Amino acid sequence: MKGERAAIRSLPSGVPGLDAVLGGGLPEYSFNLIAGGPGSGKTTLAHQIMFANATVERPALYFTVLGEPTIKMLRYQRQFDFFDPDLAGSAIQFINLSAEVMERDLGEVLQRIVSEIEGAKPGIVVVDSFRTIGGQHGSSERGASFELDQFVQRLALYLTTWEVTSFLLGEYTEEEQRNPVFTVADGIIWLSQATDRNSVARKLQVVKTRGRAPMPGLHTFRITDNGLQIFPRIPEQTRKRVQQKRERLSTGVAGMDEMIGGGVIAGDAVMLTGPAGSGKSTVATQFMVSGLAKGETGVIALFEEYPEEYLSRANTRNPDVGKMIEVGKLELIYLRPLDLSVDETLAAILEAVERLGARRVVIDSLSGFEVALAPTFREDFRESLYRLVGTLTATGVTVFMTAEVSEAFSEARFTTEKVSFITDEIIVQRYVEIEGELRRVMAVIKMRGSDHTHEFRTYEVTAKGVVIGGPLTEYDGIITGVPTLRKDSAGVRSLRKKLAKTKRVK
Amino acid sequence: MNTADEGKNSLSRDQQQARQIARRLITSHRSERAGGDTAARAAAAACDHLYRDLSRWVGPDGCHALFTRALAQARTEYPALEQIQLRARSEPYIDGVGETIMAHGDAPTAEALESMLVRLVELLGRLIGDDMAMKLIERSLAASERGEATSDGRREEA
Repeated sequence: MKGERAAIRSLPSGVPGLDAVLGGGLPEYSFNLIAGGPGSGKTTLAHQIMFANATVERPALYFTVLGEPTIKMLRYQRQFDFFDPDLAGSAIQFINLSAEVMERDLGEVLQRIVSEIEGAKPGIVVVDSFRTIGGQHGSSERGASFELDQFVQRLALYLTTWEVTSFLLGEYTEEEQRNPVFTVADGIIWLSQATDRNSVARKLQVVKTRGRAPMPGLHTFRITDNGLQIFPRIPEQTRKRVQQKRERLSTGVAGMDEMIGGGVIAGDAVMLTGPAGSGKSTVATQFMVSGLAKGETGVIALFEEYPEEYLSRANTRNPDVGKMIEVGKLELIYLRPLDLSVDETLAAILEAVERLGARRVVIDSLSGFEVALAPTFREDFRESLYRLVGTLTATGVTVFMTAEVSEAFSEARFTTEKVSFITDEIIVQRYVEIEGELRRVMAVIKMRGSDHTHEFRTYEVTAKGVVIGGPLTEYDGIITGVPTLRKDSAGVRSLRKKLAKTKRVK
Repeated sequence: MNTADEGKNSLSRDQQQARQIARRLITSHRSERAGGDTAARAAAAACDHLYRDLSRWVGPDGCHALFTRALAQARTEYPALEQIQLRARSEPYIDGVGETIMAHGDAPTAEALESMLVRLVELLGRLIGDDMAMKLIERSLAASERGEATSDGRREEA
């Protein structure tokens, strides 16, 4: 019999994103602990798992102990979309143990659980919240704790031999991780929520899964009408990088393609920076429209404007934008809440990219994106953005990002130093003063692996979009914002000639 | 027409459903009985049975809280319920049935207890949704119809 291993099947958790974090799902017949503070989502997570797996043949038993009254739990849980009332009473049975816990000892509590399991032959068992078991009978704190440890040990053994996948829900603080129950458990899922200024970030960690390789680290999650949704921290882990042909994609801005050596390189990350009102969003829209005109599909992630505002502005220049949304060629993703995580943003964009088979993604803008993040995620914005751009470009899409740079008029800041390293191509826009007029100029400062122009070109934002003008070859000091005519420029030469003529006449 | 039937036409669909299931519960405890006071005793036995069954789901305290509210609501309409007491974690759960029958008669007591059951079904429906409340009570009813109403004997003795 050497070499024959007992196969451990995986059960789907029913929680989007969690199976990936768990390393493939929940190990069948495992004894798991779902730990976390009050309101962290333990009960909802357990319900989601239960509703995803319970059948009439292998039902789920949900034992409630003390704490949240069952009736209230049912009232709130049934608000979730996953809660199917048709399963209640048949595939899912709720059993209240408060009488056993309050009036009898732990032996009888265990006996009741055992007899219910023997009767129902469940596939899933949840005990919520098992920490309230014990300590009800006037025993000392130490004695109660020992009694509870023994109870958990016996329960774990019993549940495993009955081929049950089980979940114990308990309120624990991170300092309590040395509790013996953590040793007994095959799997530990830790839920937490941290408040930073006015925002709350929920995080999940798989501390332990026997027989699996879970994704390390803290993964953000959100609780919506559908229950928990996990946003795995390293979504590209399982993805293979899509190799792109070094094809050039038109920006849709006449003259700009020429500046960048023939167009944006497919699969690259491009960043367009500039001060407010310089036309960044207009260029980004032109880039997208250019792809749509060729039959490509695309996604625009908006962080600054409401989709309606964006659409009404975009439609005036490109009437097809609205139509493209209607026919499913273009999707606008509006992400403006102030408690986003990078992983959540990435998940939303990736889902849309996969749904549409998109080739182009516009992120408008990185500055808005940073503001939309919960403060706790802004701290590692640079690292997070690196993962976001890396993951998106790994799918083969071309990412066009805009970023606002605030600058003093005479002080040029080409990019936000935080994020320029993640891009393959950087184009900058800025204002300059020429002959008493405010003019817009544009230059290419980075094109990875490609030639590009090095001159500043003027441009106008017209009713049809951005139109590139000529280079400012006769000026020096454009970078200062207040250029001066070069001494050897045609303008200066003609001025000198005029002056000389005037002198001769005199 | 009795008091319960008077407003029947103005009952909502959910209320009608609640009344219907309450009556079925009572009927399931009535069939095996004989004698003049069967209606009220059957209604009390149905309450005992439902208390026991729902306690499994929501705990004896949770279930007692539901019955207490339902009794309080029904009392405003049925003074006959004044002598009815709920005894949590006891068998039988409904106490004072004999005294109420003596004071008000069998039919009015049965009607009052039925009203309490209806209020309980409605209350449960408002809390966890009518569909799920009906499902839980149907489950109890099925058990009762299968003859699992073990406390009926005790009710007779009481």
